Amino acid sequence: MSPRLPWSRPSSVRASSLRPYSDRPSRDGLFWTSGCFVLALMPHLGDMPPWVLIFCGITVAVRLGLAAGDRQGPPALLRTLIALAAIALLFAQFRTFNGITAGTALLGLVAGLKMLETRTRRDVCVMILLVYFLSLDALLVGSSFWLLAYLVGVCWFTTATLLRLTAAETGPPWPASLRYARRILLQAIPLAAILWLFFPRLTEPLWRLTESDQGAAAGLGDTLSTGDLADLALSDDIAFRVHFFGAVPPTEQRYWRGPVLDQFDGRVWRRAEPDTTATPGFRTEGPVYRYRISLEPYPHAWIFTLDWPTEWDMAHAQLTADGMLLGPGPVSQGLDMIASSQTRRRDPEPLAEKARRRETALEPATANPRTLALAESLRREHPDQRGFVTSVLEMIHRENFFYTLAPPPLESKDPIDEFLFDTKRGFCGHYASAFAVLMRAAGVPARIVTGYYGGTFNRYADYWILRQSDAHAWVEIWIEGQGWQRIDPTSAIDPRRVDRSLRDEQAAISIANVDLRSALPWFAALRLRADALRELWRERILRYNQDSQQSLLASLHVPNPDAQKLVFALGAALAAALGWLTWQVRRELQPPPRDALRRAYEQLCAKLAGLGLPRAVHEGAETYAARIAGRRPELAQAVGDLCRRYNDLRYGRPASPADVATFARRVRSFRPRDSRAS
Amino acid sequence: MIDVRQAASRRLRTWAARRFGTDVLPHAIVRRRIYILPSGFGLALAALIVAMLVAALNYNNNLSLAFAFLMTSIALVAMHHCHRNLLGLVVDAETDADGFAGSSAAVAFTLTNVSGLDRYDVQIRCAADAITTANVAAISRRAVAVRVPLAARGVRRLAQFELATRYPFGWFRAWTYVQAVVTIHAAPHPEGGQQESGANRPSDGTLSGEQPGDEDWAGLRPYAPGMPLKHMVWKVLARGGEAAVRTYSSPASDPQWLDWYALPALAEEARLSQLCRWVLDADRAGRTYGLRLPAVSVDPASGPVHRRACLRALAAHGAGAAS
Repeated sequence: MSPRLPWSRPSSVRASSLRPYSDRPSRDGLFWTSGCFVLALMPHLGDMPPWVLIFCGITVAVRLGLAAGDRQGPPALLRTLIALAAIALLFAQFRTFNGITAGTALLGLVAGLKMLETRTRRDVCVMILLVYFLSLDALLVGSSFWLLAYLVGVCWFTTATLLRLTAAETGPPWPASLRYARRILLQAIPLAAILWLFFPRLTEPLWRLTESDQGAAAGLGDTLSTGDLADLALSDDIAFRVHFFGAVPPTEQRYWRGPVLDQFDGRVWRRAEPDTTATPGFRTEGPVYRYRISLEPYPHAWIFTLDWPTEWDMAHAQLTADGMLLGPGPVSQGLDMIASSQTRRRDPEPLAEKARRRETALEPATANPRTLALAESLRREHPDQRGFVTSVLEMIHRENFFYTLAPPPLESKDPIDEFLFDTKRGFCGHYASAFAVLMRAAGVPARIVTGYYGGTFNRYADYWILRQSDAHAWVEIWIEGQGWQRIDPTSAIDPRRVDRSLRDEQAAISIANVDLRSALPWFAALRLRADALRELWRERILRYNQDSQQSLLASLHVPNPDAQKLVFALGAALAAALGWLTWQVRRELQPPPRDALRRAYEQLCAKLAGLGLPRAVHEGAETYAARIAGRRPELAQAVGDLCRRYNDLRYGRPASPADVATFARRVRSFRPRDSRAS
Repeated sequence: MIDVRQAASRRLRTWAARRFGTDVLPHAIVRRRIYILPSGFGLALAALIVAMLVAALNYNNNLSLAFAFLMTSIALVAMHHCHRNLLGLVVDAETDADGFAGSSAAVAFTLTNVSGLDRYDVQIRCAADAITTANVAAISRRAVAVRVPLAARGVRRLAQFELATRYPFGWFRAWTYVQAVVTIHAAPHPEGGQQESGANRPSDGTLSGEQPGDEDWAGLRPYAPGMPLKHMVWKVLARGGEAAVRTYSSPASDPQWLDWYALPALAEEARLSQLCRWVLDADRAGRTYGLRLPAVSVDPASGPVHRRACLRALAAHGAGAAS
C-alpha cells in the first residue's frame, strides 16, 4: 500500500508561494536593472533614433524617481496611451518594423515601456531578458572585437543582477554575485566556443529582411564630376584588402576597376544603365594573378577587380559588357571573393556602331567650346589616332599642369574649358574628365573608369590595403585594331609639378592630422599591425563560414568533411564539453582541502618523529615542545617557537593565509639533525 | 495545463515513493533522485534564445551568433548549477511535530551542507501550503522550521516531503522527494469556559478547597528534567548549588484528573477542546494532573513532556487503534 501523500487531495492553493518573483522589486533591484538597460543601450547610440534613446532615458528616470518615493509606475491607461503614441511615432518614421534599424528601435522602445511598467519582480526579469536581446542586437550592427568584449561585460553584469533579483531569500551580496556570474560565464565560454565552431551555418538566409545600408561607408559613387574625389582622397577609411596568391602585379598594373562611366553632360560623368545582356567579347592576355579581395561594406553592387577579371568565385556576379563585375545586390555586409585577373586585353571584334556612337557622344554640343576646338586642331595635326593620343598626353606633361588635391573650384558652365585653359590645377578626376572629353571631341571612343590604384602593403600579414585615399579615375579609349586600352592621363603630369604639400595643408585643416601621423614611421608600423589584427579578426571570426568549418574538420583529420559529419563533430564536442562541465561543477562541491596550517604542523611532527620523538596523540603543541626540550635541549628554542606559533595561528585571532604560508615556510626550512646518526 | 502538471507531479511522487522506498534520516541527496525542469521564466529564456539564434543565423552574423551561443551555454551551466544546489545536501527532520487545530505545527528540519559552496534558496515543502526557503552556508548546518497549517484535530502523517531550488536565476527548478514519515499531532483547538470544579474532581475526590498555586511549600527536591521551571530555585543554582525545585505540601500537588467523562454535556470535539484548555491551564499553573480519555489515560505528572503526552493523546482520540 502506498503511503498517504499529503498532496494527494486536490489543492486549491496553486503553488503561488513557490514563485520567487511575484512580489514587488526592491528599489535596489530596479536601480541595477536600469543600470543594465543603460549599459546595453550604449552601443545603440549610433543606430537608434535619438528620440527613442531620450524616451528610454526618461522612462528610466521616471521609474527610478517613483521608486525613490516608494511608489509604483504610472496607471495602466496612461501607460497604454504612451505605448500607442510611441509605437505610432516609430511606424511613422520607418514605415516598417522589419529590418535591423527599425527592429532595434522597436526593441529599445518596448524595453523603455517595460521599464515604465515594472511592478513586480517578474517584470524586472522580463526587463533583463530584453537587455540580453538588446545586447545581441548591437552585434548585428557593429562587428569589432571591442564591442563583443564590452557586451560580454554587460552580459556578466546583467547576469549578476539577475542572480540578485531572483534570489528568494537574501541572495549572495554584490561582490559574491559578480564572482558567481563570472564563474558561470567562464564555464559557459568554452561551451559557447564549441557551439560556435561546429554549429552548421546557413548558406542562404531564412528570409530576406530589408537590407540596411547603414554600415556602408562613403566610397566611390556612380557619378563623377571634376571635383568629386577630393574629399575621398583625404579619407583614411579602408575600401578593401587584397591578398595575392603568388605573384603580385607591378605598381603600374594595379588598377582596381570599379564603375565605368560613359555618359557626359558637360559637367558630370554618369553611368549608363548596365547592359547585362551583351556578353563581354574581349580576350585577356598576359600573366594570371590570383588574389582574394575582402571588401568593406558599401551601398553599391559593383565589385572591384584587378583590370581585367577572368575568373571569380561568386556564382551570382556577372561581368558587364564594359568589363565591370556586378554582384546580385549592394555589398552592404562586406564580401570576400577569390578572383583571377590578367593585365592585358584585346578585342578581336570591331566596335559596334551603336556603342561607338555612345562612347563618342558629347551632349550638349555647345558645352566646353574651347576644348572642342583644341581637340579639332590637334586632330588635324595628327591624323593617326596614336599620334593624337600621344600629343594630348605630351601637352599635359609639357604645359604648366599641376597635380593638387586642393584645386581652385570650377564654377563656370564650361568646367573642362576652365580647367584646361585657366586653372590648370586638378587631380585625377579633372585630368581623366578632360582627357576623355578631348578624345570624344576628336571622335575617339572614350570612357571614364573609376576605382582604386596602388595600395599599401601590410608586411605584418601579407596583404595590400586600399584606402579611400587610393581612389582614382582613369580613361579607356578604343584603339582601332586593339580595342579598349587604359590611359591614365594623371600619370602624364611632370612629377615636378605634383604638389603634395597642398594636400598636407588641406589634410591638417580638414581632418585631424592624417599625414602627420603617417609621417611618424613607428606610428605607421603600429597602424599596419593594428590593421593586420583587425584583418585576422575579420577573416577568422567575422567571415567564418561553411568553408571554414570544412577546413576545420579537415584539420581534425575527418575524411571527406560534409554537413553531416559537422553535426556529428558538434555532438561529440558538445558531449565532451558537457562532461567536462559536469565534472567541473561537481568538483566545486568538494569540501575545501584540509587547511594549510594543519598540513604544515603535521609536517613538523613528521620531522620530529624522524628523530625518534613522535608526538603522542594526547599531546598538545606546547606539551610536545616541552617534552622535546627535555630530550633534545639543542632543539628547544626552534621547536618551542614553532609550536607556540602554531598555537597562536590555530587558536588565536583568525590567521591570514600569508601568516600560515610563512609558518609553512619556516617548518620546511626547519632541519633538525639526528643525534643518533652522528 | 495546471491539471496536467499536477497529475504528472502526483504520478512522479507516487512513483518515487514506490521506487525508492523509505529513506533513513538523515538523508543525503543523491544525483539520480534530483529531477530538473525549466520553469516558466526558463521557457521565456528559451524563446529568447531561439529568437536570438534565428536573428543571428538569418543575418549570417558570426558575432551575434557567438552571443546567442553564449546565452545558450549560460543557460546550460545554470542548469548544472541548479541541479548541484541540491546535490549532496543532507537533510534531517524531527519525526514528530505538535500543534493545535486552527493553528499550525512547526516541522523541524535540519539542512547540513558539507560542501565548500554556499547553497541558496533551498525550499522545503511539506504540503502545498507549507513551504519554507532557506540559505545554507558552506560547511554549516541550519535548522529550518516548516509551518504546516492544521485545519482539524487529528494525527497526520506526512510520508514524503520535497526539497526544491530555483537558484540560480530561476530558469530551472530542481527538486527531489525524501520519503520519511513525519507525524503531526494536531491537538484540539483549546477552548471552553467550564471550570474544572468539584464536578471533575478525580474519582477518589477526597480533597476540597484546594487552591492552585498555594505557597505552602514543603521543601526542595533535586531537579529532574520535566519538572516545571517556574518552581526552580534559581537562587540556589546561582550560588553554585545543585539545581533544585520547590515542592509544595499544598493540595495543589495532589494529582488532579482531567476527565473526559466529566463533560457529558458537550459534543465530542467540544469536549476535547475543553480538555485541551484544561491541560494547558493546569500546565501553566504548574499543577500535577492526569488525563483520562475513553481509550487511553495519561497518569498524573507535570512538565512539558507530560503536557505533550496529554496533547498527543487528545490529538489521537478516536483514531482507531492508535496507541
